[in-house]
Amino acid sequence: MVDEVMRSTQRPEVIDATLAALDPDRDRPPSVMEVDSLTLRFGEKTILSDVSVAFPRGTVTALIGPTGSGKSTFLRTLNRMNDRVSGFRHDGDVTLDGVSVWAPHQDLLSVRRRVGMLFQRPNPFPMSIRDNVVAGVKAHGIAKGRQLDVVAETRLREVGLWDAVKDRLGESPFRLSGGQQQLLCLARALAVGPEMLLLDEPTSSLDPGSTESVENLMRQLTPALTLIVVTHNLGQARRVSQSTILFYDGRLIEHGATSELFDAPRDPRTQRYVNGLMG
Amino acid sequence: MAFRTASVVALGFVVGPALWLIVGVIARAVPHWRWNVLTTVPLGNGGGLENALLGTLVIMAGVLVLAGTVGVLAGIHFAELARPKRNGRAGSSSLRVASEVLSGFPSIVLGYVGYVALCVGLHWGFSLLPALLILSLMVVPYIAKSTESALRQVPTSYREGADALGMATGYALRKVVIRSAMPGIVTGVLIALSIAGGETAPLLYTAGITNSLPSSALVHQPIAYLTYYVWTDYNQPSAQAHNLSYDAALILIVLVLILLVSARVIVYRTQRHSESRR
Ligand SMILES: Nc1ncnc2c1ncn2[C@@H]1O[C@H](COP(=O)(O)OP(=O)(O)OP(=O)(O)O)[C@@H](O)[C@H]1O
Ligand SMILES: [Mg+2]
Repeated sequence: MVDEVMRSTQRPEVIDATLAALDPDRDRPPSVMEVDSLTLRFGEKTILSDVSVAFPRGTVTALIGPTGSGKSTFLRTLNRMNDRVSGFRHDGDVTLDGVSVWAPHQDLLSVRRRVGMLFQRPNPFPMSIRDNVVAGVKAHGIAKGRQLDVVAETRLREVGLWDAVKDRLGESPFRLSGGQQQLLCLARALAVGPEMLLLDEPTSSLDPGSTESVENLMRQLTPALTLIVVTHNLGQARRVSQSTILFYDGRLIEHGATSELFDAPRDPRTQRYVNGLMG
Repeated sequence: MAFRTASVVALGFVVGPALWLIVGVIARAVPHWRWNVLTTVPLGNGGGLENALLGTLVIMAGVLVLAGTVGVLAGIHFAELARPKRNGRAGSSSLRVASEVLSGFPSIVLGYVGYVALCVGLHWGFSLLPALLILSLMVVPYIAKSTESALRQVPTSYREGADALGMATGYALRKVVIRSAMPGIVTGVLIALSIAGGETAPLLYTAGITNSLPSSALVHQPIAYLTYYVWTDYNQPSAQAHNLSYDAALILIVLVLILLVSARVIVYRTQRHSESRR
């Protein structure tokens, strides 16, 4: 009914324009995050050389490359987790919505709230399951009192953990399976309302079933969120991402649509890597 | 197998004397135990130990407040705040040195220093305050060191998780890090308290001794403590005094046991959700 009315009164272009006008992000840069010739050193050691890349809003980007190629270091730079590492120095810039994450007026804590992170090993806090979900919410004063219970339930439902834990919200998170712990950490990260999520091999310690639920979630989280996922699992990169980046020895070797990068790699190193000929 | 035997023997060396001590004291104290020991003050060679029991409790409470606060804050400072940007270990070595020097220092010498500087120098006389200051001086480095090492053992993944959520450092410290370091901190404080409760020498020089109950006076008023009676009454010829000596020892042991049990309770309550307790 509604469809018919819409069709009879409005042409698709008009609808598109109307929808575009409703988009809350219309005045923001099309890329939520841009990395501009980033070079990073720990002491004398250069870890990343001249990396430039943009992350379009609402997409999943996979980050692949051999071990030690600097994927984790790159990811941790985006939410400034490397700032305190000894000898950390950088050239170039990382911008979040057009503002450098290192800008003097930029608030580090709000950068980290907006750019969430999920680690390779699930790392719930030593507190109850419910308190884990709302830990960040409390820290940022986003909600309090009874609202926290609502937040906890909403986020646990969002990650599909609610039914499994609803009767043991007061219990220790360490009794959950590894996959459930990782989902709990995801719920905790989502609870503070991030715009981006950085995932560093989020499923490498999980069994195939849990991996699948995490991957499904990653697909559901876009386009509301922008995700960057480091993975050694090339199948995973193909399944979840729209574009893929290959790191090699601290350099960005190739960046393109996932299907192109896997099916028609331009760089010979990419070719060897995606064909499993290189660690 | 050999290792097992060795472990059992080693355990025996640790537990044996402790058991022997406890059983010995109980065996000598319990047969003549009278409850009014807890409610009367010494009288001649007999009477009770109410003054000493209350005095020891006051001293322990004072050390808990004074040394506990200073020591835990110092430990937090050295583990978290003095840690420079570059992952160095500033401060922790000076803390270690201070703590080793002070723990290697004969406590009677500290007591004497307290007597000269505080009781005589500041005209405080034998009283609670100099006793607290000297005992705290003895145990603060210990508490600071155990707090510091407990904090350093908190898994990096907790701190990273907190950082990644955008928690402020101080907030993460209070809500995540200290909570997981709690067993180490509590244990350190309680061991420090039992050290304080078991000291005699520095108290002889600073607290003096009295037959009256503790008052609210911090200075100019001597205060009694159990260890004094363990020592002096044991060296008295009368059987009555001997009995009091064993009573004092028994009460001390019970106090220490209460401390240990409360430590376990606190640890249990704070570690309900810890990684090691699944
Ligand atoms: N804190 C640090 N100090 C000095 N060097 C470091 C530090 N962290 C990482 N590196 C170095 O940076 C390089 C890249 O490491 P990184 O962890 O980013 O690799 P990665 O691509 O994530 O590897 P993997 O796939 O094995 O996780 C490595 O050579 C590593 O030794
Ligand atoms: Mg890595």
